[in-house]
Amino acid sequence: MRLIDFALGNLARRPARTALTVAAIALGIAAVVALTSIAWGFEASWQKANDARGTDLIVTRMASENSLPSAFAALEPGKTLLGYPHVHQVVGLLSEMLSVNSKAPPMFVFGWEYNSYLWDHLKLLEGHWPASDTEPVVLVGSVAAALLHKRTGDTLELEGHTLRVAGVFESAALVENGALLLTLTQAQLITDKPGKVNVLNIKLDGKASDSEIEELRTRVATSMPGFVAITSGELVSSNAIVRVSKAMSDATILIASLVGALVVFNTMLMSISERTREIGVLLALGWQRRTIMQLVCGESTILALAGGMIGILLGIAMTVGLEHLDLMRGKIEAVFSVQFLLAVLGLSLFLGIAGGLYPAIKAAALLPSRALRHE
Amino acid sequence: MNGPHSGLRKTVSSSRPGDAILRLEDIALHFDEGRTKAVNGIDVEVREGEFVALVGPSGCGKSSLLNIIGTLDSATGGRIYFRGQPYSTISDASLFRRQHFGFIFQSFHLIPTLSALENVIVPTIGCAGSAKALKERAQGLLSALGLQDRMGHEPGKLSGGERQRVAIARSLINDPDIILADEPTGSLDSINAAEVLDLLDGIRKENGLTVVMVTHAPEVSARADRVVHMRDGKLDTNPAEHT
Ligand SMILES: Nc1ncnc2c1ncn2[C@@H]1O[C@H](COP(=O)(O)OP(=O)(O)OP(=O)(O)O)[C@@H](O)[C@H]1O
Ligand SMILES: [Mg+2]
Repeated sequence: MRLIDFALGNLARRPARTALTVAAIALGIAAVVALTSIAWGFEASWQKANDARGTDLIVTRMASENSLPSAFAALEPGKTLLGYPHVHQVVGLLSEMLSVNSKAPPMFVFGWEYNSYLWDHLKLLEGHWPASDTEPVVLVGSVAAALLHKRTGDTLELEGHTLRVAGVFESAALVENGALLLTLTQAQLITDKPGKVNVLNIKLDGKASDSEIEELRTRVATSMPGFVAITSGELVSSNAIVRVSKAMSDATILIASLVGALVVFNTMLMSISERTREIGVLLALGWQRRTIMQLVCGESTILALAGGMIGILLGIAMTVGLEHLDLMRGKIEAVFSVQFLLAVLGLSLFLGIAGGLYPAIKAAALLPSRALRHE
Repeated sequence: MNGPHSGLRKTVSSSRPGDAILRLEDIALHFDEGRTKAVNGIDVEVREGEFVALVGPSGCGKSSLLNIIGTLDSATGGRIYFRGQPYSTISDASLFRRQHFGFIFQSFHLIPTLSALENVIVPTIGCAGSAKALKERAQGLLSALGLQDRMGHEPGKLSGGERQRVAIARSLINDPDIILADEPTGSLDSINAAEVLDLLDGIRKENGLTVVMVTHAPEVSARADRVVHMRDGKLDTNPAEHT
């Protein structure tokens, strides 16, 4: 019989307590998994959208830490940028979070410069692209189409403007599939922001070296006051929603760890106290103090790892459920990386050891004669 | 010292019968800053292979003395030697216990969730040694104690006598030199008590074990080579006077 078999048997002696402890850890770990994978997924799906568009650099207002960068007049900066070396295209983009009607959840509405490279990565599932910059039509992402029950030829209301659905498209990025797409001119009209964009997307000519890109960024910073040129990754990670959701996931990790360790601690303390005499017997039978410690830490680790594994499954299930809520559909794409799940298991392991350590030391320090007399 | 792989029979040790295996000199165990004197100046010698019964009224310090001998407690005064080695020089009491002592308790102290066989193996957890050899040794011990059909039973499904026989097998698994038994028949009826004592006696003689046994029962102490009487933490040199 190995120590682990003995430890498992001890846990099975108190099935209700063991189950409750595992459940408490599982809930904490599930919250960690759900919030963290959503926070990362949020970032990743934006990153994917920007990557799919083929944008090399994004020029935006400095310190734009709002959920969306604030809008600015595009004409002058656009012209300046086109004059810089290696800049192939400069394309304005306006994005907003709008509700189509009072019942539907708010969704992303993008305005993209007509005929620009941004449109190239989309696949048209049905209908047609806007025939001109000013045609009052909207294109609907595949997820948004399902969510709004809209098809080609239907109409929808945006900010008091009636628009015809010209077609349904699909993108490699979920955020775009969950969005509505207009020409930039239409978007500016609807949102009452003529001539304005949130960001300018720059496509380089492909011949720029890393140092030349760096030079370009410095040039934007020095000669275009108030603007910065950043990569899409930098834009996404400075995004307020991404930052808030990451902070929430950090806080959840902290709280879940504390609660988890305390639950393990409490359970193991109770467990060794009711087994005091048995520990005395084990010591009398020649058990090393080290073996007693291994037993108690082993039990706490089994509890925490079981909770961790159940929590991971529960967390994935919760996240998938959240992704399918109407409010969230098409906006997040949770990421469960193997490294992350291993890290969560590592966290559980840590909780088990941290929560079990003091009880283990206490059990191992028992005076055998006193433990044997314990009633 | 033999490993746990050897059979029941203990191979020859360097010590001969008649040599002192234990020597206690002026041993004391005081509690509460000397207000309770559980053991208060005991001088006694136990020889290799001897069966010593420790008797005396409740609270006279029998269990306390047994605990000191078994290194479960440290004496607060006096000197104690195992085969000439002072206890004060023992660096690892657990290891020392495992190598030299087997304990048997009045209320068995078996682990309720483990089978008889597993209970016998428990003392070997955490030590090196092949699991298969240990299991075979445990099975051999249980068979020798007449429990070949009870190995898979948990203690709750065993009679008192059977439980104590499992506990005896457990005390023998690490091939000890001395069995320390604290009222091993105290929870048994006279028939079961006699059976357990017969078995223990047989094993003791076969293996040349030394036994120190606390008991209240005259029929138990009658089997001993020597009876040591205690009273108020001291040896009682004139027990007849007190009965
Ligand atoms: N940890 C302790 N603290 C204080 N007093 C103790 C402690 N352990 C034992 N004693 C006291 O020491 C005395 C001897 O106790 P011990 O258990 O050795 O007696 P005993 O002879 O085994 O009695 P019994 O036959 O009832 O088992 C008792 O008066 C007991 O109350
Ligand atoms: Mg006693």
